Amino acid sequence: MAIVHQFSYARPSTVVEVLSLLALHGERATIMAGGTDVVVHLKEGRLVPECVIDVKDLAGFRRIAVSDDRLEIAAGVTFSDILCSPEVRDGFPLIAESAATVASTGIRNRATLAGNLCSAVPSLDCGPAVLVHDAHVHLASARGERNVSIHQWFTGPKQTARRPDELVVSVTVPRPQRRHAGCYVKLGRYRGEDLAQAGVAVMALEDKTYRVAFCALGPIPARAHTIEELLAGRELDEETLTRAKAAVDGEIAPISDIRASQAYRRHMAALMLERGLLEAARRLRGEPPAMALLGG
Amino acid sequence: MSDYRFIGAPVERLEGREKVSGAAQFVDDVEFGPNVHYAWVVESPHAHALIRGIDTSHAQGMPGVVAVFTGKDFAGLHFGLYMKDRFVLAADRVRFVGEQVAVVVARSPAAAQAAAAAVWVDYEPLPAVFDQMEALKDDGVRVHPELGNYEHVPWFFPKAGTNIAHWRKIRRGDAAQGFADADVVVDGVFTVPRYAHCAIEPHGAVALFDQSGRLTVWTASQSPHTQRNLFAETLAPLGLTHHDVRVITPYVGGGFGGKAGVTMEILAATLATKLRGKPVKLCWSREQEFYNTYQRLGLRSELRMGVKRDGAITALSHTLYWDAGAYVEYGANVVNAVGLSATGPYRIPHVVIDSLCIYTNLPPGGPYRGFGYSEFLFGLESMVDKASHAIGMDPVAFRRHNAIREGDVLAYGASMNPNGLLEAIDRVAEEIKWGEKEPPSSSTALVGKGFSLLWKAPAMPPNASSTAFLKFNEDGSINILISAMEIGQGVLTAMAQIAAEVLTVPPHKIRVETPDTDRNPYEWQTVASHITWSTGNAVRRAALDAREQIFAVAERALHIPQESLYLEDETLKCRTRPDFCLALRSFVISGIQTEDGTYRGGPIVGRGMFMPEYASAVSDPETGQGGHPNVHYTVGAAALTLEVDRQTGKMRVRKVVEALDAGKAINPRMVKAQIEGGLVQGLATVLYEDMRFDEHGRLANPNFTDYKIPTAMDIPDEIVPIIVEVPQPDGPFGARGIGEHPMLPAAPMVANALEDALGVRLTSMPLTAEKVALAVMEKEARHGQTA
Amino acid sequence: MTTITFMLNGERRSIAVEPWEILLDVVRDRLGIKSPKAGCNRGDCGTCTVLLDGRSVRSCLILAVEVDGHEITTLEGIAADGLTALQEAFLANDSFQCGFCAPGMIVTATELLRDTPHPTEGQIKEALAGNLCRCTGYRPIIEAVQSLGRRCHE
Repeated sequence: MAIVHQFSYARPSTVVEVLSLLALHGERATIMAGGTDVVVHLKEGRLVPECVIDVKDLAGFRRIAVSDDRLEIAAGVTFSDILCSPEVRDGFPLIAESAATVASTGIRNRATLAGNLCSAVPSLDCGPAVLVHDAHVHLASARGERNVSIHQWFTGPKQTARRPDELVVSVTVPRPQRRHAGCYVKLGRYRGEDLAQAGVAVMALEDKTYRVAFCALGPIPARAHTIEELLAGRELDEETLTRAKAAVDGEIAPISDIRASQAYRRHMAALMLERGLLEAARRLRGEPPAMALLGG
Repeated sequence: MSDYRFIGAPVERLEGREKVSGAAQFVDDVEFGPNVHYAWVVESPHAHALIRGIDTSHAQGMPGVVAVFTGKDFAGLHFGLYMKDRFVLAADRVRFVGEQVAVVVARSPAAAQAAAAAVWVDYEPLPAVFDQMEALKDDGVRVHPELGNYEHVPWFFPKAGTNIAHWRKIRRGDAAQGFADADVVVDGVFTVPRYAHCAIEPHGAVALFDQSGRLTVWTASQSPHTQRNLFAETLAPLGLTHHDVRVITPYVGGGFGGKAGVTMEILAATLATKLRGKPVKLCWSREQEFYNTYQRLGLRSELRMGVKRDGAITALSHTLYWDAGAYVEYGANVVNAVGLSATGPYRIPHVVIDSLCIYTNLPPGGPYRGFGYSEFLFGLESMVDKASHAIGMDPVAFRRHNAIREGDVLAYGASMNPNGLLEAIDRVAEEIKWGEKEPPSSSTALVGKGFSLLWKAPAMPPNASSTAFLKFNEDGSINILISAMEIGQGVLTAMAQIAAEVLTVPPHKIRVETPDTDRNPYEWQTVASHITWSTGNAVRRAALDAREQIFAVAERALHIPQESLYLEDETLKCRTRPDFCLALRSFVISGIQTEDGTYRGGPIVGRGMFMPEYASAVSDPETGQGGHPNVHYTVGAAALTLEVDRQTGKMRVRKVVEALDAGKAINPRMVKAQIEGGLVQGLATVLYEDMRFDEHGRLANPNFTDYKIPTAMDIPDEIVPIIVEVPQPDGPFGARGIGEHPMLPAAPMVANALEDALGVRLTSMPLTAEKVALAVMEKEARHGQTA
Repeated sequence: MTTITFMLNGERRSIAVEPWEILLDVVRDRLGIKSPKAGCNRGDCGTCTVLLDGRSVRSCLILAVEVDGHEITTLEGIAADGLTALQEAFLANDSFQCGFCAPGMIVTATELLRDTPHPTEGQIKEALAGNLCRCTGYRPIIEAVQSLGRRCHE
């Protein structure tokens, strides 16, 4: 299937060149990294840019940097790069766990975390993980640089806080200050590659606080603050879990679509929260990860 | 057990090296040089509309565009396999979303696509009907007002002025009496959605109408001769004859029925006739593959079954309402086939079957691996469990008690062929440890077992036939020419094994290639699981013919009586002269030299043909009695162990066992491969595959993103294929087909296992995790209320 | 038009392409390398899989201009010196039926075995999950890859 629309292509080697192209073309430019989304959209005619700016070869764009307090993932880093990085796997296992659920190897070898965040689909698998990590997105434009908290990043389905002249440079993932463990529970129609019908990331910290974020259960991936407050300082006993599950309905706004009905999404969100919390707590106790948390 | 050398041997696939090396050519791989032209269709956005006018002027002038055609250019060209209700391009009316209304031919795919978007069509939308029950109403939409004028085969009974394209009726015994005799009567209503074949290779066709007036069409097809026949018939108004038309089919990247008959290929063929000397290439996109070839028909089935407390089924009433789509030229025969066989493999004295082929404004329904049997078995085998529970009998014992036997009278009056159904039941029950409970792997999981029988007959015209040519080469190797298609099932290897057995030339010295209708002899189609049996018979006869020629020439040249000759290890030997030994390679081309220096014989070329001369489709339209429409049935049994999480509904197939009676497995390795692959395909239709249409009749998931076919992560933990061999009397070495059968029992055995595990009976496919979880919730809510 | 130069199956190739041309189409229709197939054209089925600088990718989702200066290997390149042990294992295990998915499947499995010579069954399934096969039910494919892992052990 051919691309019918015609455009120019640029593969700059410096950020400055990208920014000047962005300044020139504005909304008529499309930034492309792995291209796994962009090329599909070009083929389907949903994107009709004047210019495609390929940012894969920018200096330093494949860098993963880990320090005491954070992980920095440059915008050209692919999901496979993330999965191959021992620092990420050991220090930020939740990021790796969610990355592993994105599509399949042949896609992960090209698709980038930054590009994924820019796609901002409601079912974004890596969304809940970066949300519970309180990540930041770093942007550059001819006007300067800025940081956007991940909590302000998603502005609507497929919409982000990125302005048309801005380039995502990297994503920073802070390291939680306390001992912690997380898990990402994904509901798909089967075990193979699928877009999430629903997703929940849970992080349990040693001070008995919890962080919870959902995807595919509302217009944007989002943290569940009410649930977090309700859980704070508590053991995960039956009463607490029941209360947390009861609070799920107020935290999500699922729709019925081709992938799942609203009723099933609501039902599963509560179950996934429960099983995710218990699993995160198990992992915090040093137990090995359980397989097939949802059965099947 | 047998003294066969090559029959029953696990011979490696003849074409394997081509396929694993990337050398195998599929239709899109064939090169046509820089003059190739690309076609792209303009599709209807409406499910039902009149075409008021089409403006192609803008598209005509776009860069790279060579021509734009509309229905007016192809007026009167309609076609169909069993009923001529389909059009090369929509003429004055569109009947489903995605139907082709115009076509652009250009120098590049992008140019064709761009120009297609610039063709302007003026539609007058009409009310549309998407539900077959709605379509049955007297005052509703008529999809084909001209139904009464369509040509069709004599065994179809369309009802002019309605949406009923065919109504197959079977009446046997006295149903009222049968139900009166019953101690218990159970009933149920079941629904099955549409499904897509999802061969990984999309349809493609390239056609060249050369300067001399000869039309050659390269297609991805299961049916080269049927295509040639329909191309020639359809294009006869343009002056073409069978003699002018040639179809060449390279390897096909999966068929499953979707590449049977003729769909988009007719468009390439017709376009070529307007563009003399220019190869025209038409490749369907994955989206078009979903909505503009064939889809598996949707079904609503209503069943009543009467049983005695002793376990005997006394009566069955089975009404099948098929959503057959906008064109039923092939799909109506699915409806017919099921109408004949909807008793399943059971002896039932009193039977009423009504199988109705109903037009709707959804894409055309047509052949899909199983040809309707998967669909009706979901309801029937669910009811069999229900009936056995109603009389307190074990479901397997109940099936065994009622299982059809050789010589039993079938619902349409003919008699049942020899079969190993009881053996299949017993071996499956033993392998699945029927009756033994198994522990689940988690506290929220339950484990259930489900059982199902299956049967299926080839659905084909009574005079469908196969032929084979067999020719020797100088080194004693052999080429076999047939027109059965290699679509993944391994037909080339099986045919080589059959010839090898007769001629003692090992299969790796036999070459069998994909067809070219100008060179390879006639074959009806590679469908219906009939190739091993029918083409196998033709190949066997061709090999026997060659062997007779060999014996005859030896007698003439060497004066050895034919009766004393035999073949062994590629040589001619004599029972009465142990010292006599003549290598085939020494004479199969050059002949045998006699004492005076002259030669006898010459190249050995065998010919074989097979047509079942006992079949007939002529029967009473009101009762279905009197004909012999099915040549034989292949039977089997299957069971699975299913673990299900009662909260999430997520299921895992821990073990699945299936036994099929292959008559004689020509190549057991490939029979087992069919069982494994077919079961995975079948289970996917149960667990997650599903075609979804929006309220305008538009397919919402024409892609693998939302139409999920299994991946390597979605297979059962264990599959156990079992081969039963009760010979088919008229099969080659006793063989009968098994290609479609593996997927048939998938749905009912999952439904039966779910009921075993959860006490919940699901009657609407697919049985997704979502449906299971919601059904359990509903059941628990009901119990909560009553408690 | 831009002229791109890249290594294709070990041979340096230069070709002028438009920015919107897809790598799969250029490799198949303009450079005559036919083993990568067009199955879905949107990255879902894996039949177009090739190695780009050694990593398996969907050639239907790559602009030809992107591979300028890079290295592309198709099944033709992997098997340039005759069938590999993996291809022989595919034959021995009947890991294909119609054969349409086989080139992409073998390219993907080749990458897996290079990076993980002794993969577990779970790793094999995960690695192959992006390559769809409608015929075999996958078990024979998994077994072929497993047999290679075992062979390396011996």
